[in-house]
Amino acid sequence: MNDALPPEDARLRGLTATLRDHFERFGYRGIDTPVLENLDLFLRKSGEEIAARMYSFTHWNRKLCLRPELTASVMRAYVTSLRDRPLPVRVHYAGPTFRYEKPQRGRYRQFTQVGLECIGASGSAADAEVLATACSAARQAGLKGFRLVLGHLGVVLQLLEQLGIDEHGQNLILGNMEALARRGADPDEVVPRVLALMGVGDTSHVEDALVDEGDDGRLSPLPSLLAEFGSEGAANVASDLLARANLVLEGGSRTPEEIVSRLVAKAGRPDPTDRVARAVEFIVQLQRSAGPPAEAFDRIGALLAQHNLDPAPLLEIQRALSLLPSYGVQPDEVEVDLSLGRGLRFYTGLVFELHATGVRGMSSQIAGGGRYDELVRSLGGHESIPACGFSFGLERLKLALDAEGAELAGDRSVQVVVAPIEDADDAVAIELSAQLRGVGLDVELDVRHRGVRGNLRHADREGIPYVVIVGERERLTGQPLLRDMQARTERAHDVGALIETLRTAR
Amino acid sequence: MTAVAPIPSRRDHLRIRRNGTATHTLRIALPSKGMEQQTLDFLATCGMKVNRPNPRQYRATIPALAGVEVLFQRATDVFAKVAEGSVDLGITGYDIVREHQREDDGVVMLEKALGYAGCALVLAVPEGWIDVSSVTDVAEIAAEFRRKGRDLRVASKYPNLSRQFLFDNGINYFTIEESSGALEAAPALNAADVIVDLVSSGVTLRENRLKRVAGGTIVESQACLIGNRAALRDNLEKREIARQVLELIEAQMRSRDYYSLTGNIQGDSPEAVARRVTSSHAELAGLRGPTISKVYHKGGGDEGWYAATVVVQSKLLLPAIDALRKAGAGDVSVVQLRYAFQSRCWSFEALVRQLHDTSNDD
Repeated sequence: MNDALPPEDARLRGLTATLRDHFERFGYRGIDTPVLENLDLFLRKSGEEIAARMYSFTHWNRKLCLRPELTASVMRAYVTSLRDRPLPVRVHYAGPTFRYEKPQRGRYRQFTQVGLECIGASGSAADAEVLATACSAARQAGLKGFRLVLGHLGVVLQLLEQLGIDEHGQNLILGNMEALARRGADPDEVVPRVLALMGVGDTSHVEDALVDEGDDGRLSPLPSLLAEFGSEGAANVASDLLARANLVLEGGSRTPEEIVSRLVAKAGRPDPTDRVARAVEFIVQLQRSAGPPAEAFDRIGALLAQHNLDPAPLLEIQRALSLLPSYGVQPDEVEVDLSLGRGLRFYTGLVFELHATGVRGMSSQIAGGGRYDELVRSLGGHESIPACGFSFGLERLKLALDAEGAELAGDRSVQVVVAPIEDADDAVAIELSAQLRGVGLDVELDVRHRGVRGNLRHADREGIPYVVIVGERERLTGQPLLRDMQARTERAHDVGALIETLRTAR
Repeated sequence: MTAVAPIPSRRDHLRIRRNGTATHTLRIALPSKGMEQQTLDFLATCGMKVNRPNPRQYRATIPALAGVEVLFQRATDVFAKVAEGSVDLGITGYDIVREHQREDDGVVMLEKALGYAGCALVLAVPEGWIDVSSVTDVAEIAAEFRRKGRDLRVASKYPNLSRQFLFDNGINYFTIEESSGALEAAPALNAADVIVDLVSSGVTLRENRLKRVAGGTIVESQACLIGNRAALRDNLEKREIARQVLELIEAQMRSRDYYSLTGNIQGDSPEAVARRVTSSHAELAGLRGPTISKVYHKGGGDEGWYAATVVVQSKLLLPAIDALRKAGAGDVSVVQLRYAFQSRCWSFEALVRQLHDTSNDD
């Protein structure tokens, strides 16, 4: 369990305030959503990799989870409560998120996302605003060195569509894109892994002789023969054959018709091995083409032409990038990398990450985001609503700032200790404290009755500049004693004069 | 330990209570059902025969290990007892450890494959699902169910491992039915669609008209030896007993791989016999080389007979016998080794490293 202790907590709060205040300047307004969500909200697509890393549980038969990210929650709130607002709806948020992962430096199981969503605007102007806000927010927070990595999922999605790979296969390939492109995974290992998860290829390595033999699940003679009858005819033939053999298909919860028709449909599917290999090869080529915008655009343009792919995604990035200087944003470095995947499967277009250039020994990513035009529909909205957003990993950003040696505002220091000597002095001391707080001072009341010496020692140790003593004499004269710790002087004041002295000394 | 305080350490070792009975230094929990007889046989083979005065008693001793008390518990309770520290060592199933383990449970794995009680935790579907051969098919069916508005129901006594496995295989929409009764019957009774259960021979699955699928093995399991981290780290006497246990287990398990062969060979000198034995394949002439000793003839006289002894891997038994014959041996006697100790106890050294690895400590 990772506690944020003083003054760390104050620094993180300060950083959050800086970022959110910056978002406000762009017209974004705050939103807060529950930490506890319905599990379903995050399981829209089968095979979503985040599922295995969620803290999920069943409580009184409701499936719940701790949110692993905030975008889906914000979009749920939009679908249920914000649809009557004029578009675009601009919201910003900050809050804890949870993922069950191996903790590392800069990666905790509970981390804080601070980000924004721009809902209901498509096109480069909106993309550029989101990109520029992320960059300028990092700068506003005090970060000097960072790199903007830009990608666009449209290119890979186009190719997968062109190759005729189904949605399940698309998800698997996109899920492995990150490993292929960033972690240097070997394409020769990724292809079989994807194929195995698609249920084709050599599965002998995963099983032993105990598995029923003979049925490798694909293209064995019977199903392919059945496939030639066409789906309905084949189902009839198969059912008839089984009936003649006096075999009853006991499928438990599934009817024999369902089983036979799925068997036939499965046999009709073409072998995807070659297409998966081509998709993986293409991703590797995209990764090799990455680099500074001018060079990358040339290389990627050529690659797209070679594969007969629409260059529109590339033009979108180009146009968004060309608008950044007008925002006064000059990221120190921009890299265009169309193999950038991001872990989450809801992105549909532009994706980007901010990386701090000054960090060593941990992941340098401090923020990430992109465009997700289909999320509203998958949450039950009637039409798709274009949307784009990003979030900072607050703890990561803070570590990056630490690495640059940035000064972050920590805790405010307490300015005055008011020290009643005995019980009888409490009431006067409390009233005096309230008056001092009223003029804007941070006042600590001694509730332990440490005595004069004890309080002076305490103030000395904690660096508190003033101590006000309220003992029997001070109470009777109405003149509390003010000790200036730095000047090492003591003087009795009337209450009004005391307050005035402390207010101006601040 | 000897020079500094011999007396207290001795008293610690066999702490004498007022009534005169010795208290036990270390407690080891053994599984009481299912794996019980196999565990007792295994320990006896390793030279740690359990002395249980009465089979209905839940306490016993191991005479070969002074200061050890044996407790019989259900396999799942063995893990719980080791985790909470009320016993120091335990033998249970690897599947149970995987299902019940926590990051901070304080349990260390001393030996994860004791070589018996082998089984696998697998995903099984009705035999009638002839369109299903791999876990990917199950994922597709789960998605199909979802479109029809219901979850794939998975009956299992292993909710944690099942959940992780399903997620890892892209199955997001499911409900775990934690039934404790006859799991295998659940699909036929329409109480579940598929099951996750332990399989050893596969007979039970077949009898219930269920089948395994490719990629559906969740955990391969067998009996394993676990210990309480804090007890073994902080109490050197407990650690010493753990070392003895590991030495015996490791040497016994290794010995299964070796035979010792002895044959009488006639020759002019021990060297000449040795040359003949080593002249064939080197791997057949013992681990280091043959031991040659003189055979003294019953009737007196010296006909130059020598006994040549070699230790070889079990799989080389017949070739090694042929090699001895070729070297001139008539009769060859073969003994299976009881223990094969090496210069160090590897599993104990691995344990000590684990005990000092604090990266997982919270």
